[in-house]
Amino acid sequence: MTAAWMTAILLGVAMIVAGVRLILWHRSASAPSPRRLIALLLLQPVCGILLFLTLFPPATTMSSGALRIATRGTSRLAAGPMVLLPEAPDIGAGEHVPDLATALRRHPGTSEIIVLGDGLPPRDMEAARGVAVRFEPRPLRQGISHVAPPTLVAPGSSFSLGGQLSALPRATVELLDPAGQVTDSVQADADGRFALTGTARAAGAVLFTLRVRDGRRTVEQANVPLLVADSPAPRLLILSAAPNAEVKYLRRWAADAGFAVTTQMSAGGGIALGDAPIAMDGATLRRFDAAIVDDRSWAARRGVLMDAARNGLGLILHPSGPIDASTRGQWQALGFGLTGKGGLVPLALPKPLAPTIARTRQGIGSDDRPADLALPDETLPEISRLGLTPEGQSAVPLLRDAGGVTLAAWRAVGSGRVALFTGIDSYALTLTGHRGLHGDWWSAMLAAVARPAPGMTPITTPGWAGERMILCGLTAPAEVERPDGRMANLLPVAGCGAFWPDQTGWHQLRRAGDGQATPFYVQAANALPVMRAARDRDAMLMLRPPASGDKAARGKSVPGSPWPFAIGWLLASALLWWLERARVGRAAAPQSAR
Amino acid sequence: MSANNLLARWTAPAKYRVMADSLALAVPLVVGLAAIGWRLSGIIAAVAATMIAAAIALFAARYRARRYDQAWLVHTLDRERPDMEDSANLLFADPALLGPLERLQQARLLGRIDRDSPDSLRPDWSRRLILLAGIMGLIAVGLALFWPRPGHGPPTLAPSTEALPATPGIPRLTAQNLRIIPPAYTGLPPRDSASLDARAPVGSRIEWTLRFDPQATVPAILPVGGAHITLRRDGPNWIASRPLDASFLYRVDPASGRGPTPPLHRVDAIADSPPQVRAISPAASLTMVQAGQRNWTPVFAATDDYGVAATARLRVTLAIGEGENVTFSEREIAVSGSGPPRDRRFSPRLDFGALGFSAGGDMVVQLIVRDMRQPAAQEVRGPSLILRWPSSRQPESSGLEGMVNITLPAYFRSQRQIIIDAEALLKQKRRLAADRYLARSASIGSDQRILRGRYSQFLGGEEEGEPEPPPNHGEQHSDDDGHDHDQGHDHDHDHDHDHDDGHDQGHDHGHDHGGAPRRPAPGFGAPEDVLADFGHAHDDSPASSLDPETRAILKKAVDEMWQSEVQLRQGHPDLALPFAYRALRFIKEVQQATRIFLSRVGPELPPIDPSRRMTGKREGLASRVLAISPVEGRDGPAAAAWRALGDGPGAIRGPIALDALDRWARGQSAHLPDPLALSGAIDAVRRDPACLPCRVKLRALLWTAMERPPAQPARRRPADAGGARYLGAIGGGKP
Repeated sequence: MTAAWMTAILLGVAMIVAGVRLILWHRSASAPSPRRLIALLLLQPVCGILLFLTLFPPATTMSSGALRIATRGTSRLAAGPMVLLPEAPDIGAGEHVPDLATALRRHPGTSEIIVLGDGLPPRDMEAARGVAVRFEPRPLRQGISHVAPPTLVAPGSSFSLGGQLSALPRATVELLDPAGQVTDSVQADADGRFALTGTARAAGAVLFTLRVRDGRRTVEQANVPLLVADSPAPRLLILSAAPNAEVKYLRRWAADAGFAVTTQMSAGGGIALGDAPIAMDGATLRRFDAAIVDDRSWAARRGVLMDAARNGLGLILHPSGPIDASTRGQWQALGFGLTGKGGLVPLALPKPLAPTIARTRQGIGSDDRPADLALPDETLPEISRLGLTPEGQSAVPLLRDAGGVTLAAWRAVGSGRVALFTGIDSYALTLTGHRGLHGDWWSAMLAAVARPAPGMTPITTPGWAGERMILCGLTAPAEVERPDGRMANLLPVAGCGAFWPDQTGWHQLRRAGDGQATPFYVQAANALPVMRAARDRDAMLMLRPPASGDKAARGKSVPGSPWPFAIGWLLASALLWWLERARVGRAAAPQSAR
Repeated sequence: MSANNLLARWTAPAKYRVMADSLALAVPLVVGLAAIGWRLSGIIAAVAATMIAAAIALFAARYRARRYDQAWLVHTLDRERPDMEDSANLLFADPALLGPLERLQQARLLGRIDRDSPDSLRPDWSRRLILLAGIMGLIAVGLALFWPRPGHGPPTLAPSTEALPATPGIPRLTAQNLRIIPPAYTGLPPRDSASLDARAPVGSRIEWTLRFDPQATVPAILPVGGAHITLRRDGPNWIASRPLDASFLYRVDPASGRGPTPPLHRVDAIADSPPQVRAISPAASLTMVQAGQRNWTPVFAATDDYGVAATARLRVTLAIGEGENVTFSEREIAVSGSGPPRDRRFSPRLDFGALGFSAGGDMVVQLIVRDMRQPAAQEVRGPSLILRWPSSRQPESSGLEGMVNITLPAYFRSQRQIIIDAEALLKQKRRLAADRYLARSASIGSDQRILRGRYSQFLGGEEEGEPEPPPNHGEQHSDDDGHDHDQGHDHDHDHDHDHDDGHDQGHDHGHDHGGAPRRPAPGFGAPEDVLADFGHAHDDSPASSLDPETRAILKKAVDEMWQSEVQLRQGHPDLALPFAYRALRFIKEVQQATRIFLSRVGPELPPIDPSRRMTGKREGLASRVLAISPVEGRDGPAAAAWRALGDGPGAIRGPIALDALDRWARGQSAHLPDPLALSGAIDAVRRDPACLPCRVKLRALLWTAMERPPAQPARRRPADAGGARYLGAIGGGKP
């Protein structure tokens, strides 16, 4: 039994009781007026019905058309009835609403909206999910439509920055380091895509600058935030079946980078060189995060190494020369394709950079290692690789040489990973001023396979000042420290909290019970306008477009307005009151009644 | 008197007067212009200005004088001379065209005209204009002479730009001037700088002229990290100076630290770069002497930022002689250059006769120039140019080719020689007597035997004793075998000269070969024995240095030689020729083979016997720990300050302790790209910790002053429970 039914029964009972009372009253009256009695008896049910309708207005099938919504960038020449959102230009004619949800509430029954202009802002996306959206995206303006900075960069590593330009084919894109020097410059391809390279220094929050130039004109310039954070130094095991230059320079690199390195070089006849000998078993290998193993050491210990890899150890295999058929078969069984001709082929190295750019990629020198010594020679070292490429169906390519040939690939094995590097004698890079490339290769492989370590989870969503951001991964109330030191509290709902940045700069999210803050960058309100427009446009295109069945489903009933019935009920009640109280029509005031 | 004469006589004084008047007007102006030109850009400009102005003045004078023509004369005579009765025009009319009355009047006028001299008609001097021009010229000359030059005389002070707040009672810099007096050798004029920052050549003198308000008592100039410079009072100004030997930062302290800290200023010293020398001609470093050339003139260009000394030295090194008998002599010749000081040309003329340069020698020249730096000039040596005079005696050869020429081909030429001799003998057969023919044939056969003996040595054991010298070596090869024969003689001579040395070397070497080296037969084909003399063959015979294939070919060659020798000895050079040719072809094959074949270094290692591995003595061999110590990063203070200046993690919004950074920057100044700029930026932040642009600038500079640590890996994050289950489920490859 619904509330309407109970109300109706109550009202019905009340009408009957009122009617009986009226009749009894009329009988007992000294000068009864039958006309008044009839009027009163008729008005009572009218009044009751009107009250019921006021409380439960009848459903109306509103037949409303598509609502036209004007957003930012709507043409001033757009005519016809429309709803103006706050971002829309002041067209004049039209209904001003604070947001889309209000507009839909004011126009009940709206099942379809036509969005004019650039599209709805993120604020109205939630409201727009309930209706079909008709939207014709306009082509984007010239500018940066997308930038993907690396989420987290390790100190000293080189990073790659990808992005896309809109309406700017073959424009020049430059990356400026925090000192304002051009550290990379490329030409975007015909679709506007580009990839730039830079190098990080010590840990901290860095702003690089992306500059797009079309000829001599600077089209757009934008800050690219980069978070350089320390990771726990990996514990590294280097196994070599013979002392050689490759293992010497690997050990030097790992020691200088601050890793805990254990090197085991076999010199034959049970003699081992390097660090103090360790027992090669599961318990020992669990203490290491990654192991760099050459082909001959691998052949001797592959069982224990693979068991350790399944338990999370990262394994980097590399040949010390041409490999034999059995090693090739074993590595193929791991999932590496190893197709191609056998033997060794020369490895294509990238061309040396221009000295001005190379200088911005490296830091200052020292007494032991002068800066100009680290500049690459004009002549490239001769480094070879296996003729076999490690690409396979289950292997992920990791490094490529300048000719596009895959040099290294990895695949998951249990909870660990195995990588295969086909380069041979990569140490020659460090001797010819390409120390950076050597470090980049090996650290990329280590980063791909090393045992996972807990650490900061960076916030990847770009934010703009004056626009709501959603920060997720919150389990308890958290705080955001603004660039000027003011704090803002976040109240998470379902793990996410909203934050309204009001200024540009690095903000820090501090979670309760987490000592390390997570920095994130908020762009200025007018920065990267094309990228913001592209984001909104993509979100608009993901909304539900009008389908063919929409017309049939349109006549749905919605509750009607109670106000006409309320006014009617008020008038009827007033008339009722007047009829009961008025002296009009009464012959004489019955004195006895007093 | 004709009309023309009359006209010339009566207009000449006026023309002369007006030209003199024009020149009198022009001369002061021209002098003034010349003075201004001299002041602005030297004497050349003065001369040019004089020439142009004088030309214009002459042209104007002629133009003015041209106006005094017949029309002017007629007009003037009519106006000035009443006795001309307004008919002066008749003076110049053709009498033939005139009527009788007009002719009468013309005669009267001609008679009357000489009553006055033509001088009376000349115009007056334009005295006021001449006076005006004179005054203007004097003013121009005066201005050119006495207009103040920058860098001379008392400086004009510029208002201060330090923009420090004024505090009552504490002196403040209000006006300043920085005078830079470059060293005289640079040839740069002194200049004044309104700013306190400047760039100047090293060795310049820097003079400050400063004014303070209210008047300071003990102001000072405080260089960063150096002794302070005291200022000397000079009227209302304070003066100080110091020589510029290195770039420095300084601040002007007017009140000995009582007021606010003034900003830093920077004076950059521009180092004098050493001169550059390049060779203009010849372009290549090695030149050959042309036939008939008696002297050589290499041309060098020397450039410098301030000037190259007019005289340079040319180092001439002569290498005279050939082979190992080369004597070197070195001398230096003074050369004077031509052209402007910044780009001088030196083109010394080297006379071969005077230097003693002759055929078969090398002359190496190198120009040594100095710039004009004081006190010590910078000396730079230019590229070396080599002039080679090839010896006429020996064909050009170098490297391996020469070696091969000496050791082996003597044989091969000789086989060809035998063929040539035999063919020559066949041609002379008709002219020769039979016995003589036989004798010569036998002589060639003897040569063939010696040659066969030589080759037999390579085959080992087949040698037939010591080859004997040919009995008639000298007389035989006289007419038609030219060059090769000479060659043989040369080798003989060399051999004889060097023979004793060869013995010494052989003994010094410490190898005992069992007595003195075998004495080779002097004569034809002897030089090949240099191996026996100078080297020491470790094999028992040369035979073992040949591979079996070559030996087989050589064997065939020796067989053919044997046949050839038999026929020659029997007096049948025609029958011997086919064998000789075949022998030559085989020897050619051997020659090709021996040039590639190097038996002593060819690695034909025996296969490894695994059963013998690790069976040697192993005392003293044990596992070793090889220690390694990582290189420590040294940019800790820079990285910490860089983080503190930002707004990310580690940022400090208030004042930052910069002492550690300052100390670090001083210690690392050798490695920093611009240590002065970094010091200046540190100072700016220290002075005003709230200055946001200063912090941004320091942070940007610190980026260039940081090391790039070795690339570290960014560790991946652990998988959550679901991820771990998934990874466990998919397993992995099994080797």
